[in-house]
Parts: sequence; C-alpha cells; structure tokens
Amino acid sequence: MTQSEQESGASATSMTLEPLIVLDGVNKWFGDLHVLRDINLTVGKGEVVVVIGPSGSGKSTLCRAINRLETIDQGSITLDGRALPQEGKALAALRAEVGMVFQSFNLFSHKTILENVTLGPIKVRGRSRVEAEKRGRALLDRVGVAHQADKYPAQLSGGQQQRVAIARALAMEPKAMLFDEPTSALDPEMIKEVLDVMVDLAERGMTMIVVTHEMGFARTAGNRVVFMADGAIVEENTPAQFFTNPESDRAKDFLGKILKH
Amino acid sequence: MQDVFNQFDLVLKAFWLTIQLFLLSGVCSLLLGVLLAGMRVGPVSVLRGAAAVYVTVIRNTPLLMIFIFVFVAAPRLDVNFDFLTKGVIALTIYTSAFVCEAIRSGINSVPLGQAEAARSIGLTFIGSMREVILPQAFRATMPPLASVLIALLKNTSVGAAFGLLEATARMRFFTNNNADDRMLIFLTFAAGYVVLVELLSFGASRLERKWRVAVR
Amino acid sequence: MRFTKTKAVLAGLTLAATAACGGNAGSDSGGGADVQVKKDAASAFPAGTRMKELADAGKITIGVKFDQPGLGFKGAADDAPSGFDVEMAKILAASLGIDAKNITWKETISDNREPFLQSGEVDLVLATYSITPERRKVVGQAGPYYLTGQQLLVKKGSAIKSVADIKGKEVCSVTGSTSLDNVEKKGARPRGFDTYSECRDQVLDGTVGAMTTDGSILLGYAAQNPDELEVVGEPFSEERYGVGYNKDRPEMCKWISDELKTSFDDGNWKKAFDATLGKSGAQAPQAPALDPCPTA
Repeated sequence: MTQSEQESGASATSMTLEPLIVLDGVNKWFGDLHVLRDINLTVGKGEVVVVIGPSGSGKSTLCRAINRLETIDQGSITLDGRALPQEGKALAALRAEVGMVFQSFNLFSHKTILENVTLGPIKVRGRSRVEAEKRGRALLDRVGVAHQADKYPAQLSGGQQQRVAIARALAMEPKAMLFDEPTSALDPEMIKEVLDVMVDLAERGMTMIVVTHEMGFARTAGNRVVFMADGAIVEENTPAQFFTNPESDRAKDFLGKILKH
Repeated sequence: MQDVFNQFDLVLKAFWLTIQLFLLSGVCSLLLGVLLAGMRVGPVSVLRGAAAVYVTVIRNTPLLMIFIFVFVAAPRLDVNFDFLTKGVIALTIYTSAFVCEAIRSGINSVPLGQAEAARSIGLTFIGSMREVILPQAFRATMPPLASVLIALLKNTSVGAAFGLLEATARMRFFTNNNADDRMLIFLTFAAGYVVLVELLSFGASRLERKWRVAVR
Repeated sequence: MRFTKTKAVLAGLTLAATAACGGNAGSDSGGGADVQVKKDAASAFPAGTRMKELADAGKITIGVKFDQPGLGFKGAADDAPSGFDVEMAKILAASLGIDAKNITWKETISDNREPFLQSGEVDLVLATYSITPERRKVVGQAGPYYLTGQQLLVKKGSAIKSVADIKGKEVCSVTGSTSLDNVEKKGARPRGFDTYSECRDQVLDGTVGAMTTDGSILLGYAAQNPDELEVVGEPFSEERYGVGYNKDRPEMCKWISDELKTSFDDGNWKKAFDATLGKSGAQAPQAPALDPCPTA
C-alpha cells in the first residue's frame, strides 16, 4: 500500500467526521530503535479505531504518545485542534480530556474503589465530593461494580479492577478514550465482562483508540482497523475489509497466525 | 544524685528543649525533605540536579560542621537568629537530606503505573505526588524514616556545645557539680533518651501497622 | 646543680623565643619562674610513696588546660603549654627532680579532670581546678594556690556593667561549668559552648551579651583583644584553684602543700604569676592560705 493510498483510505472513513486526534509525521526512537516511523493518523469524533499488530510493533507506544506518557522526537500530535503541550498544567488539562486504560489497571492501591473514581473529578475538575460520589457510583453501577465501592483495589478480581479503571477514566468526561491492551492481563473468563463495557461505550459514541489482540472486538465495535508492524502503519481499513481481504503481506501473515486456531 | 532530684524541674526543662528541637526540626525536615525528594524525582532537570547536589553535600558533611557553620560562621556574615531557631536550622539542613533519600527510596518503590494513571486523569506533577505517590511512598518509607527521626532525636544533643541547654548540656552541669555521682547522673539522662526513642519507635510501628492494614 | 640550672634557664629561653615567634598574645608567658630542679630528689622520699615512684621514673604526666591564655594555653605552633598553672606544675615537678622537658603535658577539659586522675592517665591536674566538696569526694585536691572569682567579659561599651545587669541576657561559658550554673541562678539565659574561645567568639559577634568564668581566665582573653573586649564588675564568686591528685595516694597532699608553701615563701610563686597572669597588668595578690591535708 502506497503512502497516497494510505491517506485516501484514512480520509475515506474520517472524511465525514470532524477530526479529533491527528498525528502528523510522528517519529520516535528508543536509542537506536526506531519505534514509531512516520505515523500519520487521523481519528474522527465518535470513531472507534482498533490498533493491532505483532508485539513490538509500536502500537502501545503510539497509544501512550497520544496523551504524552511517551514523548515524541518528530512530528506533531493535536487533540481537537490543539497541539499537545510540553509539560505542566496545560498538559495535565489535556490529559484530563483523554481517558486512558492500562493493561495492568493501575488503580490507586491506597484508595477505595469509589475514591479511585472520584479523585480526578474532585481534584482536577473541582467537583464537590457529594456530586463526584453520586456520579462515581452511577459509573460504577454502569460498569457493574457498584457493590464493591468501598473495597480496596487489591480485593477485586482483575476484570472488576479493569472495569473500575474504565469508570475512573469516564468520570473525567473525556473527549476520547485510549485503551492500551486492556484485556491482555486478564484471565480468559474475565475478558468478556471488560469487552462488554467497551462495546457499550462504543455504541454510546465515545471516540476510542483501542490497542488489542481481541479480533472479535475489532470486528464488532471497530470503525477502522490500523495494522502496525515495525513501528509503521502498514495498513488501514474497515474491519470487514481487513479481516476478509487484507492487502499487505505482513497483515496476511499476522492474521494467518492468529486466526488459525 | 540528690542534686538531680532536688532540681528535677531543670531536668524536665532540659528534656523539653530536646523535645522542642526534635519536633520543630522534625517537621521542618519532613517538609524540606519531601520538597527535595519531589525535586529529585520531578520533571525539571535543574531542580533534579540542585536537589542531588544538596543531598550529596549535606549527607557527606558532619553534623558538627553544619552547627559550626550556622552558629559561628553565619553570624559573622550577619546572618543570625535566636538560639532555638539556629538549632532547628542546623538540624533541618542536615536531617532533610536523609529524609529526602528515605522518601525517594519510598517513591521508587511505588510502581510507575501509579504515576502514569495519576497523570492520565489530569493530575499535575505536584497533584499526583500529593494524592497518589507520596501517600503510598510514605508507607514504604516508614521504617527508614523512623531511623532518620531517631537519629535526629539523638542529634539534638550536638546543640549542647552551641548554647542550647537541652538534656545533654544539663547533664554536663550535673556531672560537673557532682563529680562523685557521674555514673548515676549519666544513666539517668541516658534513660530519658531511651524513653523518648522508644516512644518514637512505638509510634512509628503503630503507624506502619495501621497503614499496612489499610492496603492489606 | 649548675648544669641542671642552666638547662632550666635554657628551656625557659626557648619557650620565650617560641612564644615571641608565634606572636600569639596568649602564649607569651614563657620565661617563668627560675626554678631549680632538685638533684637526688628520689632519696628524699620514703619508699612506697607516689613521689618516690615518680622521682625514680624521672618523668611525670600533668593535666593542664590548653585553651586558657595566662593559665594553661597551647597555641597551634607551640611545643609546650604555658601559663600560671603550667609554671606551678613545673615547680612541683622540679621538687621531684624532674626537668620541664620530662613532663608530659596532657590537655584536660572541665569534664575529664576527675576521670583522668582516677584512671591514672595523669599524675597531677593543674587546670583552673576549683576546690569543691563534691570533687574532694572522688579525687584529692591540695591547695589552694590561687584565688579568683567569677567575672564578666563583654564587648567594650556594653550595657552590661556588672552582674546586676545580666538578668534575662544571654551569657555564655563552657557547657556544664559552675560559672554558667551561677549566672543561670542569677537570672541570665545560659549558653554553653565546648570551649572558651567559641564562647568568646559569640561575644565578639554580638550573639551573646557576655562571657563568664573565672576573672583570671577572662583577663587572658581581654589581653588578647584589648580593643574590643573588657572585663567588668566585681567578682561574684570565690574560686580556689587546687592541685588535683589521685585519692588513692593521699601521701601526695602533704608533698604538694609543702612545695606550694615553699614557693609562696621563696618568691617562685610570685615569679610564676608575674611571668604569666601578671602580664595583663595585674599585681600579684597575697598568697592564699592552704587547706590542711585530710588526716589519713
């Protein structure tokens, strides 16, 4: 797939949508290792983009670069028309607009489940405790862990913790959500409960970038699949096209390996 | 020994000064130590470097030299305060470097993911330190911090040579006036220190246990 | 006789020369008394006495202060300490037939005088060592050989003119000293330091209002810094300097007392004073009356 085809493919899906996240010519190196190569990606409002690819392909780094948990060496990333600030308060404000869900949940281990969900709204958004707790409980109810509100994270199963992590991100009322392999650390029986929450989110129109190995989720909830290998975007397409008729050899090879079983 | 019991109010007064020195410089050292630790793990490289230099210089300087600096050198440069303040300054300069390192080791024991999660909900560096990192770091920090505070309590005795009439200075009055009872007087004052240190250790272990229960 | 006398004079001259070169006001107390080292001293003491042992050994260790100009002071460049206490120590040693160069000088501070005597680390202590009943319970103290009293050293022009003015003021001395205890009882805020010179520095930089200890010591500091410092007020305590010895050797008391008495009578005591404390302009006082030795 050539550069121009890639761009036209991307615009085909996001043309009708207002662009929310735009990556332009992004490059990043870890020492000699070129982990992101000339990444151009536009995600429109309400779009669900699923990033897949073999491990070490740079998909997690891409995801983390969008809220600047990783810095980039070249290119630009803009959110809703504004460039990512360097550091400090402006960056913090931007991060509040982008929810992030980690592979290892990263719930605040010294705070209760409810406190995990209310910390951001109270400290960052300046909401009152009563208001934040009311909304927090509603969100916990929505992800199905309302009855665990007063427990500590270590007392919950992995699937429950990850659902709390999603609720924690949603409590900030973000413009977009980033999922960095949200189900990779979960036991198989817990994966579905997390994916269900994510599908529900997608159906409600949340803009999402999801790095995952869950092909089922990509098919059902994704608007677009981005396939990465060796730090570069190799192929972008609708899920239907990508899974039935991948264009690049790398994608065919990758799909061949994971879909055989 | 009779002399000591007849003037026990002087003993108590001296230990009260010891406690004042400990509490005031303890609080100041904790504040300054947290600030230094924040600088050392923070995003601003100039502050990181400054804090690292401070810790390296102070940790490798004998406490006595810092006292001499504050009590003898600084007044000649027209930097002078009352005696208690000077004592607190000298002890804080010294102790804060150790507090910084204890807290830094605690911060390093908090998984990186906690900091990332804190930042990803929009907390600033200071906010994530205060709300997420430090509360967890303090737990891991409690045992080394307790040692630092115990050392501080005993270090207050250096003030005896710098005009501060705390427990050790008072002991020297009694031993000088009662040459026949030196050993008993010494043991009496040593017992006072033991009681204070034991109280401190007890408090620290209680806190540690309480916090451990909270996270299980 | 003649030979040893020459040596003693030579030693005195050398000391004076060293002091002159050092240029330190505190150590210019060389010369000292013209003391004759007793020949065949050992035969004068009965067997089994400590004096006999020391005379036989031909050497003695004496504890003196190293930081008190005029009494016991050793500058950084000095080989041996100098001062009134040191001169008196030489007189005692000479009576045992021990030459000044065979005396080992050991610095004693206020805190370690009794332990040094008890452990035998020093044979005698002449270190501004006030005689007190408490001290006499653990060590022997013969004398007194000098009387002084506590006074105040202040910056010239200070509002503190006498002990009546120190109430509520910060007054420094050596941590744990009797002098500091006394001013505390008189309402001053006591500030203890490790050495007299640190305390003097606090007076100089204005951190404390006055320094207090025995007038004899203060005179030495005032003499070092006559433009900035002065001694004010009448003495408000009586200190009686004695010679410390190990209580287990009570026979030493009579020997020390006899030799002190001799020095009072033959003028050596006055010579020692004139060569040291007298340099600040003070006249030699009347020789004090000696306490009787405890009856064994």
